[in-house]
Amino acid sequence: MRWIFSVLAIAVVCAAAVSLSAAQDPPAKNPLEGNADAIRSGMGLYRARCADCHGMDARGVRAPDITQVWASGRTDAGLFKTIKEGVPGTEMPSNPRVQDAEAWQILAYLRTLAAPAPTDPPRGDAVNGERIFRANCALCHRVKGAGGRLGPDLSRIGIARSREAVLRRIRRGAEGFGSGYEPVTLTPPSGQPIRGVKKNEDLFSVQIMDTRERIQGYEKDKMKSVKNETQSAMPIFGPDRLNDSDLDDLLRYLGTLRGFDPAVAP
Amino acid sequence: MRNRTLLLLGLLLALSAGTARLTAQQTPPPLVTAQEILGGLTPDGSRWLTFGGNYSNQRHSPLTQITPANVNRLVPQWTFQTGTLGNFETTSLFRDNVLYVTGPQNVAWSIDARTGRQIWRYRRELQPNLTACCGLVNRGFGVLGDKLFMVTLDAHLLALDMRTGAIAWDVMMQDYRNGYASTIAPIVVKDKVIVGVAGGEFGIRGFIDAYEAQTGKRAWRFYTIPGPGEPGHETWTGDSWKIGGSGVWVTGAYDPEQNLVFYGTGNPGPDYHSESREGDNLYSTSLVALDADTGKLRWHYQFTPHDVHDWDSTEVPVLGDITIGGQLRKVVMFANRNGFYYTIDRTNGKVIAAKPFTTTTWAKEIGRDGRPIELPGHTPDEKGSVTCPDITGGTNFWPPTFDPATGTFFVNAREACMTFYAWKPDYKAGDRFTGGAGQRGQGSEQPYGALRAIDPATGDRKWEFRYLTPSTAGLLTTASGLIFSGDAEGNLLALDSRNGKLLWRYQMGAPMHGTSPTTYMVDGRQYLLVPAGTTLTAWALPQ
Repeated sequence: MRWIFSVLAIAVVCAAAVSLSAAQDPPAKNPLEGNADAIRSGMGLYRARCADCHGMDARGVRAPDITQVWASGRTDAGLFKTIKEGVPGTEMPSNPRVQDAEAWQILAYLRTLAAPAPTDPPRGDAVNGERIFRANCALCHRVKGAGGRLGPDLSRIGIARSREAVLRRIRRGAEGFGSGYEPVTLTPPSGQPIRGVKKNEDLFSVQIMDTRERIQGYEKDKMKSVKNETQSAMPIFGPDRLNDSDLDDLLRYLGTLRGFDPAVAP
Repeated sequence: MRNRTLLLLGLLLALSAGTARLTAQQTPPPLVTAQEILGGLTPDGSRWLTFGGNYSNQRHSPLTQITPANVNRLVPQWTFQTGTLGNFETTSLFRDNVLYVTGPQNVAWSIDARTGRQIWRYRRELQPNLTACCGLVNRGFGVLGDKLFMVTLDAHLLALDMRTGAIAWDVMMQDYRNGYASTIAPIVVKDKVIVGVAGGEFGIRGFIDAYEAQTGKRAWRFYTIPGPGEPGHETWTGDSWKIGGSGVWVTGAYDPEQNLVFYGTGNPGPDYHSESREGDNLYSTSLVALDADTGKLRWHYQFTPHDVHDWDSTEVPVLGDITIGGQLRKVVMFANRNGFYYTIDRTNGKVIAAKPFTTTTWAKEIGRDGRPIELPGHTPDEKGSVTCPDITGGTNFWPPTFDPATGTFFVNAREACMTFYAWKPDYKAGDRFTGGAGQRGQGSEQPYGALRAIDPATGDRKWEFRYLTPSTAGLLTTASGLIFSGDAEGNLLALDSRNGKLLWRYQMGAPMHGTSPTTYMVDGRQYLLVPAGTTLTAWALPQ
């Protein structure tokens, strides 16, 4: 089986079916939630169709951790739509072959893996969080068209990652590197080493964004060395650098970031 | 009235005589004969008439104009673009300065090999809800007489008129709505077109078919899963044989001396769930040797009895005559998705040499009886188990090569592991039926690939050229000592086939995926034809 293209193939062939199913509004609440049969079927469907990217435990491999989607405020109807229609501009494909009942089965199963929705009232002050973000994070991370470019754009982090996942990244640093953000150091025959993050690479060349945000390609054989760094450029913000109260504020602010439409940007 | 009829008749006769004269004045291109295909690649470079160049699938060209010394002077002559979605996985056929090319999405072309300009284009409407598991691809034409043969994604076999691309006949092999598809390049043996079906992830019962080239009438069918009463049927439990997969989606080889075709067969289904189909599951993940006239099984060798890792044995079998222990042996060389390389006696199916060519954790070795000596802990379950190779395998359907002058087998190998999971699946006609999944990203070792040169007498490695990531490119060797390959990042590579030294490279913009470069002569110049992504590019030395 050459499964890599299966999703794409299904998506292309069945494009016509999308418009058909999208025409009806799904119920707001999963009609199969808690149903034992549905959960069992959903497990099979989830594993066959979703696990490659989201992981067998749904904690994310190439694609995000989706055990926290309800905790981060997503609704049944919204998730149903995401399963059926995908997320444009990402690797999440549309799944027109998935029947409505199957999508609800998948969600019924996913519920059993999901973290409980937080019962505590949300903590922190988003206004102060934004101030902290600008002072500590915006040099590398961009939000709504402002900020640095060396790290991932965080304009929709509030729906892409759970509070817990973001907290882990801030407190413990990055576990592994996302594609396009692997740190690399190039040493030319003369002059200063060039540090940056890797945007692309083949046997003979590497394309990077350097710490001054200059994008540039280099031929490896013209370099004294090309070294993949093991340490992420993302610093660890322990309690000494960011106290618990400021962390709450920052997380509250990041939780408000739910997308960016340049057409309505200020 | 009568006079007028006579006049009309006279006119018609005169007209048809004129047409006949016109036709007679032209020199029709000679038809492709079975003898020509049998002859394979010739030193004049005038043709490439079957998938592997020769029936042996060696993909070793006798051409010597392009050499290790001048390969770095190659310049592009033209680029052809498909204008369709999806990538080439095809081997183009070449004859009389014209290329015959199949593409993705049931499209095909004839192309002027001098200029890259299209002569005709064939396109078949795609059916809705096709079940082709892994891309809407096609691996090439077969040819005989004035007909080209092409399989379709909805599991038909077509004959096209070589001169116009018009359909001569169209037969349905199986109903695509039940999970059948076809992507294989046919081989033509004598007057028969031999093909197979894909669908190992959709609960099919695989087969190899032969059709009369002239009429499309089916001559024989060999089911890769024996029915009740046939030997091997007992290797399946219950009704599992009816939906046991074992597709055939990669072209086999033909040995005219024995009149045998050799085909690798696909994974048993459901792919991962062991209890759904206890037993060896013959003839899945096997090499089968069939009489080319009747489809009768002469012998078989099963690489992975009761496979539970989706390791189709649909790699390209390569025939060669090699000296082992002072004796000339007629062999099949086979680098398998399960991570082992095999040299098999093609007269009886007995293993002569078998050795891992990539990291393999599921079996200690291949025993003297030819059966793998398996290691415990590699049957997938709900908890998952880590096994090497991964699903894609130590290698896969991309063609290897064999250089008979140096007695070296070349293959693009992958080093990767995976966690395999399994659970009991429900069968629904036409739906996916795999009973499990694999998950990459286990362990710290980053997967990589390498071009490996193997001594088929022992299975030992002579040299390797390492890639950044696993390559899925096929290979081409030439008598001048070159090997052409590609990496997953889109580089076309030329290496010295004696030592693996890189001689030349070019960034094609897309990798060669599952397909190889080919080579032929046009007007005294050797061309290198490279299918990569949605383009075909022809290279030659400067004039």
